[in-house]
Parts: sequence; C-alpha cells; structure tokens
Amino acid sequence: MPALVFLFLFLVLPLSSLFLVSVTEPSLGLGNYAKLLGDAAYGRVLFNTFFVAGVVTCVTLVIGYPVAWLLAILPARTAHLLMAAILLSMWTNLLARTYGWMVLLQRTGIINRTLIDLGLINEPLPLINNLFGVTIGMTYIMLPYVILPLHATLSGIDPAIMQAAAITGAKPRQIFWRILLPLSLPGIGAGCLMVFVMALGYYVTPALLGGTANMMLAEMIAQQVQSLLNWGLGSAAAFILLAVTLVFFAIYVRVVGLGKRS
Amino acid sequence: MILTLNRMGRGRFVLYAIAGATSAFLLLPVVFIAFLSFGSSQWLQFPPPGWTLKWYEVLFADPRWLASMLVSLKVGLCVMALSIALGLPAAFAIVRGRFPGRAALHAFFISPMIVPVIILAIALYALILKLGLNGSFLAFVAAHLILALPFSVICIVNSLEGFDISVEKAAIICGATRLQAIRRVTLPAIRLGILSGALFSFLVSWDEVVLSIFMASPGTQTLPVKMWTTLRQDLTPVIAAVSTLLIVMTIAVMLVAAFLRRRIAR
Repeated sequence: MPALVFLFLFLVLPLSSLFLVSVTEPSLGLGNYAKLLGDAAYGRVLFNTFFVAGVVTCVTLVIGYPVAWLLAILPARTAHLLMAAILLSMWTNLLARTYGWMVLLQRTGIINRTLIDLGLINEPLPLINNLFGVTIGMTYIMLPYVILPLHATLSGIDPAIMQAAAITGAKPRQIFWRILLPLSLPGIGAGCLMVFVMALGYYVTPALLGGTANMMLAEMIAQQVQSLLNWGLGSAAAFILLAVTLVFFAIYVRVVGLGKRS
Repeated sequence: MILTLNRMGRGRFVLYAIAGATSAFLLLPVVFIAFLSFGSSQWLQFPPPGWTLKWYEVLFADPRWLASMLVSLKVGLCVMALSIALGLPAAFAIVRGRFPGRAALHAFFISPMIVPVIILAIALYALILKLGLNGSFLAFVAAHLILALPFSVICIVNSLEGFDISVEKAAIICGATRLQAIRRVTLPAIRLGILSGALFSFLVSWDEVVLSIFMASPGTQTLPVKMWTTLRQDLTPVIAAVSTLLIVMTIAVMLVAAFLRRRIAR
C-alpha cells in the first residue's frame, strides 16, 4: 500500500533517526535528557510551557462553557449566528489572526491607546513579547476547540432529565450543579485535554507574541536546532514533548474513547 | 431544551452578555485587520487617518508575494491529489480488509494528527538537510501530505462505512467486473467523502506554517512562510491586505460548505 510506504519513509524513519540523534549527539547516552531535566534554565522553559497551557485550558473552559450551553439552548437562528462567529475565527488563517493580535496588543496599539486616552494608565502596558501576550493569543485560538466538544455533549443530554428535576422541585442552580455539570463532564474532559495537549506543543503563536526571555518548549526546540545547531539537545527536548503528549493522549483515549464522537 | 431560557430568570442575561462578549472577542482581530488593510497609516493607526487601496497595490505589484501564492497553490493542489490517491486505497483496506492489525493500521494513519507539528518539523528538517532538498517542491509536498493524509483517510473511511457493500456485490452479480463495480458504483456513492477529504487536504496544505518554515529556502516560500518572515521583521499593512484576502476566502469556503450541507440534507 503506497500510503504505508510513504508514512514509513517520511514519518517513522525521520522520527526514529531523530531519536537516535537525541541519545548519540554529542556523546552516547542520556546526557541530553539529564541536562534538560536538571538545568534550571531549561526547567524554566518546561515550567512556562505547562503554566501557559494550564492557564489557557482553565480560561477557555470558563469562557467556553456558557457559550457552548447557549449554543444548545438558543433559538436555531441565533445559535447559527454564534456558531458562524466561532467557525469564522477558527478557520481564518492562523498567521492572519496572530497578526491581528500583534497589532492590537503592541505598545502603540489600540488597547494601550484607549487605556491611556481614558486616563487609566500613563505608560503603555507591556501586553506583547511576554507570557501575557502568548496567553491571550492562545486562548483566542483554542477557544473553539473547547466550545465544540462541549456543545456536542450538552446538546446530547436528554432535556427530560432536566424537566424531571424541575418538576420534582429542584431550583435552576441545583439543576446546574447536580445534573447538567456532572452530565457534561465527558465534554469538559475532552475539550480540556485537547486544548492542553495542543497548547503544550504550540509554536507559531508563542514565537510571534512571546518574548525571548520567557520561551516555551516548542520555541526552544526550534531555536536549538535552527540557530544553535544543537541537534542533540533539541531532539531530546522534542522527545520529552512527545512523551508528555502521548501520556495525555492516552488519558484522552481513556476518558473519551477513540474515533466517532468528538 | 436544557433549562429553557425563560425559566432561567436573570441568569439568562448573564449568559447573553457572555455570548456577546465572546463573539466580539472572536471577531475582533478578524474585523480589525480587514479595516486596517484599507487604512492609509503605515503605522496601523486606528481609526485610520484616511482610506486607501495602496497596500493591495503593493501586494499585487510585488513578484515575491505573487510567487509565494503560486507556490502555495501548486503545492496545495499536488497535496490534494496525492492525499486522495494514497488515502483511497488505505481507506478501502481499513474498512474492507480482513486481516489482523486493522485497527492498528487505522491508528497509524491518523497518528500524524497527534504528534506536535514542531517535532515532525525538525525530524523532516534533518532529513531534507541530509538529502539537500530544502526549498524544493518535493519537500513541501511530502511534509504537507503527512498532515493531510489523516483528513482524507478519516473522510473516506466514514463515507465508505456508510456505504452498503451489497450494492457493489449486486453490480458484480449483474456482470460487472470488480474494478468496474468499484469505479461506477462505489466511488460515485462515496464521492462526498472523497470531495471533503480533498478539500480538507488542500486547506491543510494552504494554511500550513510550521513545517513550511523548516522546508523553505530564501528562494522558495509558500504564502504562510512569506507572511511569517515578513511578520518577524515588521508589522507592515501589506500583511493586513493578505490576511483580508485570506479571510474573504475563508468566508467563501464556509458559504460553499453550508450550501453543500443544505443540499445533502434535502
């Protein structure tokens, strides 16, 4: 089968030889891995990566849940409009969206200018070239990936259950906390894991909205390989990222199951 | 209806406010760029001091931008064709095959979706450096094809699973050869799956940034690579013009997809 040959040549082979590089350059052994996990500077990169991915996951869930809920209960026409806004932002070219945020968040950008004109601040806030900018940009990009699975779960919940609870005297607050939220846990799990895993390995947005002082893992991998030509360390970092990703993916498979439902 | 809106009391206004704010947040950069691309300020002042089409003129007068668009288009079409050519037999094997390890094969074809792109990028970068292929057409196509293949496999597998194989068998009983039956009965029946697989494959290639950055050479770039290298130098409004064109394209594709979905529903 041609597809099998292709994937073997361009996926399996390059990844295996990259792994070999990570344990042989500059010397045979696990030196690169020990350096990455032991050195404080690299530890900081790992911390940044998990921190940003964690914050982005929490923020997208808090914003995404009410939106997914509304999508399920709004009249069809309004729901379609809201869905169109979500899909338009999701399908617009990634660089175009990131460019938009670069312009919005820059020192002389509209957000800083408005805040200064309103007299709320005197100096422009540093909104870009730091982890704050990265978090804003990544939240923007990941939001649809938490809304869509949540929407699927929420619209699959049988409304009769909610009605039964209401008839037997449950208040809306109780219905939410004791019925809707527990029943939507699979959607929450799917959305959050997907966002977290995607955020861990993201390259474009951190590279454009982040600064050189606070790097994330994907940027560091690219820098080691492209600028510093430090292939051993770069590929070891890549395999740490791959291992973490696979662990979370295994959790995803256990929580959500493979295929069919998204 | 889950907790119908009017039974929610004041809570529903909170929900409306959140939905409104979220839509605004999602549309903000998209609308903002479109405005700026017509603004006359080089420094992207907002609101712009005047309106102009000069950024579009600069864009279409620059042979490097046009060349990068052409490269993207060629690579995209090539990836689309190869993705279907490789994905179709793979999907048949996954759905129709009766051999051990079928599920593992399916998982293997989809696995490029799970691997973080940056890892694929440096692995392929090492390979093409060794082969001296950086900046070559082949490098772009092979790299994009890895990411596009899972989409065509998923789309074709889904539609093939929904197709009743006894229709194909009936054609064979009526005297068609196996190949004729597949070509004249099965393929037309699953054409929507093939079509969406092709569309997704093209879009994956057209939008791909990370792999392309590593595959590119200063001489040969796809449109996203050209945008990327320009963005790293300055925030010129020409990028706003390119972005606006891409947004218009996105809206066009969304409308076509909505139209097709409505036709299928009928």
